[in-house]
Amino acid sequence: MFRFPTDRNGRSARAPACHAAAGFSGSPEPDDPGLSAVVDGGSGWEARIELGFERRHGRTVMARRHYGPLAVQKPFYPEGEVCHTYLLHPPGGIVGGDRLTIEATVRDGARALLTTPAAAKIYRSARDPSVQEYQLKIAAGGALEWLPQETILFAHCQALTTTRVEVERGAAFIGWEILCLGRPASDERFDAGSCRQRIEVWREGTPLLIERARLEGGSSLLSAHWGLMGRTVVGTLVALPANHALLETAREAVVPAPGDLFSATLLGEVLVCRYLGGQGEAARRCFTSAWSAIRPHLLVRPACYPRIWST
Amino acid sequence: MSDDTYQLDRRGAREPATQRSGCAVDSFTTSKARLRLWQLISPALPIGAYAYSRGLEYAVSAGWVGNEIDAAAWIEGQLTHVFENLDVPVFARLYRAWQEDDKGALAYWNSFLLASRDSAELLAEDQYLGAALARLLLDLGVEDAGAWQVAERPSFATLFALGAERWDIELTEAAQAYAWVWSEHQVAAAVKLIPLGQTAGQRMLSRLADVIPEAVQSGLALGDDAIGGVAPGVGIASALHEGQYTRLFRS
Repeated sequence: MFRFPTDRNGRSARAPACHAAAGFSGSPEPDDPGLSAVVDGGSGWEARIELGFERRHGRTVMARRHYGPLAVQKPFYPEGEVCHTYLLHPPGGIVGGDRLTIEATVRDGARALLTTPAAAKIYRSARDPSVQEYQLKIAAGGALEWLPQETILFAHCQALTTTRVEVERGAAFIGWEILCLGRPASDERFDAGSCRQRIEVWREGTPLLIERARLEGGSSLLSAHWGLMGRTVVGTLVALPANHALLETAREAVVPAPGDLFSATLLGEVLVCRYLGGQGEAARRCFTSAWSAIRPHLLVRPACYPRIWST
Repeated sequence: MSDDTYQLDRRGAREPATQRSGCAVDSFTTSKARLRLWQLISPALPIGAYAYSRGLEYAVSAGWVGNEIDAAAWIEGQLTHVFENLDVPVFARLYRAWQEDDKGALAYWNSFLLASRDSAELLAEDQYLGAALARLLLDLGVEDAGAWQVAERPSFATLFALGAERWDIELTEAAQAYAWVWSEHQVAAAVKLIPLGQTAGQRMLSRLADVIPEAVQSGLALGDDAIGGVAPGVGIASALHEGQYTRLFRS
């Protein structure tokens, strides 16, 4: 049975918002498959949303199924057929034992752009991991843009974040993940805690890209030159199918702020851009520059900034 | 590990020792395996491994690595994060796949390792070295290398595991050798690029020799789900090396 936690970490404060915004209405339907196992003995909150995008009458429509405090706003169509969707997680953050799952499936001919209105936060946890999982599936002829705002890792968090993209041949994808380690503005360094980050792209059972990082608070990986070089914000942008022309386009489009690092490389058909610097906002700026430059080539449409980015 | 233990292990792995004569045969097999191991890890192995710096050339030019201490940290960091958590456990799976002639597992772990490479140059390096070793092994009579010589994307680890397995080098030693080959080439690149004296290079190698056994041991113990490691600074250095104006090395 679901319960509203009342311990520290702001749980009690976020509970009512969650209840109202996500339309949560008690325990899951007993005959609802896949949802019966989500409450794991009350140790944390389980939130899950499944989104399906399909092409109908010249534009992309969205179907959804959700459980717990995760929701989407009514889609926007600022550029015709592309379905712009804002994912909402009203609690704004997760603690130990919480699990957030977002599953998006894009069918043949469908075009979806997903973003979030605010940064995700992973709070400190004494023991249990906080799990954030994105499963993105794109059929041949489908296109998905996955452009979330950054994830802020509080010191002492135990985070597991996974982005798994499964594409069919002929599917298009642009997506990124930006991690902010600690909160330097509040003088909180990531000197303890852990984040295991995975970004993977698979096609028909074959891995095209595997990136599995273990960011341990206070470790040499955070400070060393071979690691994060003392930078607190690390981002990865992935786009496919890519070629050398797209790589050059991305390289030319991005001028990182002084002191920040940006690189682009081509792994087979996968374009991988990396950012290393000190500001989530600077990372987003680099990645949105790359995205606006490559979108006309990859998706044959000019960049159309989600309205929520400018609010 | 002493020679005696080594022979005992080898006997245990194959068939129980019976007589004195059996021991002598085993000892010859062991010596032969050890000599083939030295052949496999020799810098004289004609596969062109000296041509790659794996991002170190950029790191030196950017001032990230400027002396012996920096270089040792750069190499050791990759060894204990990427090699230990990614290369070693995948190498072990490739080695076992050769033992069992499991083509599905070979293809899977080969592509897993290639998909884990951080930049176009690191990926190309892995495939060039893999293809070069496939050609060499085929010339030396390891017939299974033939299919990988023509394969589109062989990883170096896949072929190194093949050579080691076919030449009776046991897994732990083979994995240590694989780590050693990689370390030696990194040190050679550092000596050339920074530049450093040959003695400094040997000091670094001695230090790495202290780290390798433990890194290999932990790497071999990892389960499938725990496999994976990155060195973001190396990935960025290597990607930026692609656009570097003057370059001595191919990665």
